[in-house]
Amino acid sequence: MKKLFPFILLLLILSIGCQSKQHDTIKIGIAGPMTGDQAKMGMDFKNGATLAVDEWNQKGGILGKKIELIVGDDQHDPKQAVSIANKMINDGVVGVIGHFNSSCSIPASDVYNRNMIPMITPGSTNPQLTDKGYKNVFRVCGRDDQQGKVGAIFVTEQLKLKNVAILHDKTTYGQGLADEFKKHIGNKAQVVYYGGIVQGDKDFKMVLTAIKSKKPDIVFFGGIYPEAGLLVKQSRELGLNVPFISGDGTIDPKFIEIAGASAAEGTYLTFSPDPKNIPSAKDFIKNYQSKFGEIGPYSIYAYDATNILLTAINSASSTDGSAISDKLHSMEFDVALGKIKFDSKGDVTVSPYVVWITKNGKFEEFWKP
Amino acid sequence: MLLQQLINGITLGSVYALIALGYSMVYGILELINFAHGEIYMLGAYFGIIFFGFLTVLGVTNYSIFLSLILTFLLSIMFCSAYGFTIEKIAYKPLRNSTRLSPLISAIGVSIFLQNYVMLTQGATDKVFPNLFGARGFYFLSIRMTYIQLFIIIVSILIMIFLRLFIRRTKIGKAMRAVAQDKTMASLVGINIDTIISITFIIGSALAAVAGLMVAMYYGLVNYFIGYIAGIKAFTAAVLGGIGSIRGAMVGGLLLGLVESLGGSYISGEYKDAYAFVILIIILLVKPGGLFRKAELEKV
Repeated sequence: MKKLFPFILLLLILSIGCQSKQHDTIKIGIAGPMTGDQAKMGMDFKNGATLAVDEWNQKGGILGKKIELIVGDDQHDPKQAVSIANKMINDGVVGVIGHFNSSCSIPASDVYNRNMIPMITPGSTNPQLTDKGYKNVFRVCGRDDQQGKVGAIFVTEQLKLKNVAILHDKTTYGQGLADEFKKHIGNKAQVVYYGGIVQGDKDFKMVLTAIKSKKPDIVFFGGIYPEAGLLVKQSRELGLNVPFISGDGTIDPKFIEIAGASAAEGTYLTFSPDPKNIPSAKDFIKNYQSKFGEIGPYSIYAYDATNILLTAINSASSTDGSAISDKLHSMEFDVALGKIKFDSKGDVTVSPYVVWITKNGKFEEFWKP
Repeated sequence: MLLQQLINGITLGSVYALIALGYSMVYGILELINFAHGEIYMLGAYFGIIFFGFLTVLGVTNYSIFLSLILTFLLSIMFCSAYGFTIEKIAYKPLRNSTRLSPLISAIGVSIFLQNYVMLTQGATDKVFPNLFGARGFYFLSIRMTYIQLFIIIVSILIMIFLRLFIRRTKIGKAMRAVAQDKTMASLVGINIDTIISITFIIGSALAAVAGLMVAMYYGLVNYFIGYIAGIKAFTAAVLGGIGSIRGAMVGGLLLGLVESLGGSYISGEYKDAYAFVILIIILLVKPGGLFRKAELEKV
């Protein structure tokens, strides 16, 4: 017992340290895949949110307190997302920015809803997330039904292609997007192949060989960039040289790196307009670049989501989740992406999806519906 | 389409076979399932990326791609062999006379350690191996084959032939077979068991390094987790062919690649990984010793 005494003392001291710290700051959470193969997206989230929090703290914080950012790593694993959500609530966050993957955001939103913690996702596009009717759930990005529709219109009306092969990665996001795309293709084109691949797999040649034998004019993929890059690379290796189109999960320079610049050339994807063309985003771009370097596709969404949350907390003058959610529903926010207002579900009222193309090893805005 | 799938399957299968050989050789001699073997394969891929990057910085790649590839292979093999040798000395040798379960658990520990070590030192994100040959390839009887696929198949076949000759014809090979049959007897006739075991680990690791590097070149994408699933698949291949048997590992690997490829295209690509294990269960039920039943006689 005597030997244990110093340790017990140490534990006591440490626990006192935790207690006293808890009331000094207002905590908000940022959750996403901070490690794993999608860690780049998580980093963009974190950097965007950090920039917003730093700017607020420089102006003196919020409700007379400094803001503290709690980072949660869900490793794009739904199980981990739920435990991270619980952990952040135990840490005493008043609101959460996240998660990235729809498959993580949806189960995590249940946890946040039970505790009435407002959650704004910068990147989860699956319709289910806001269709649940939770008062505390918002997103600053668009929805896959809007995105799939734009992709389908582009393929059938702009490119006027007749035979479409559709692949997805069996995740909530990927399959959801692929299904929306398929729905909007309707009978305007023939779906010659529809199937799934396994996220994290490296060899898709068997699926692609099967697709090649169906002679499609274009391949659509609902999924994230590591698989998208490999799919493009391996289809070119098999001599399947048809156009490739995917969703917003693909917009990452790693996609081009994995596929190889020549194979990725001319591939399409649907995403929101380039922030470089938005006048109100100028300051954000300058500040972000000077602090973190290259802007990631979701950096601006994380930045805006954080600003929106903090503005709502500020005008609610309370950290009560229900009051903040009310403010989020009723206010109009003037942020880097422009003016944002949420509808009764928590979706943004306008979400302009456009088609991007890969040109000379870079993503470029290409076509507006 | 069938021929194309066969080529895809054989490419994949050759890689499985190379890894499976390492499992089988070690099992033949120590009756130990070396679960850290998959991580050696992963390390091989990482060393490939590191050394190739290093040679690019030195400018060797500008001088000659083939010279730098050969150097990359040699360096990667050397480092992986060193890892294999060290792992055996640290994690398995001290446990050689304990129960059979202890080295197995030690192997799992090494595997977890190496995965996390690579994750911490190299980062958790995917690493990209430069795409050297692009999508270049040729058509043969309406099958599209890339140069890299051809390279993988040829290298694998050559390695397997050499390995077989090495074990059949050389003195060390003979000693390995002797140790596999009876360690006590082998040591009585003057074979240094420790040396033979070390050599087995070095050869196994070298094969895994080649497999890892070829996969890094083939897919172009490497992360710290690739050793896990590849290790399990190769283990399946080794059991399929009859663990401990060299011929079995080769056939098992190829068979597994073909099953995956054909099942993935004609049944459903979504359950690609499941076919391997379904085959494993069937084989274990019907022929528990694996396809090559003479495993006892033909160990190593």
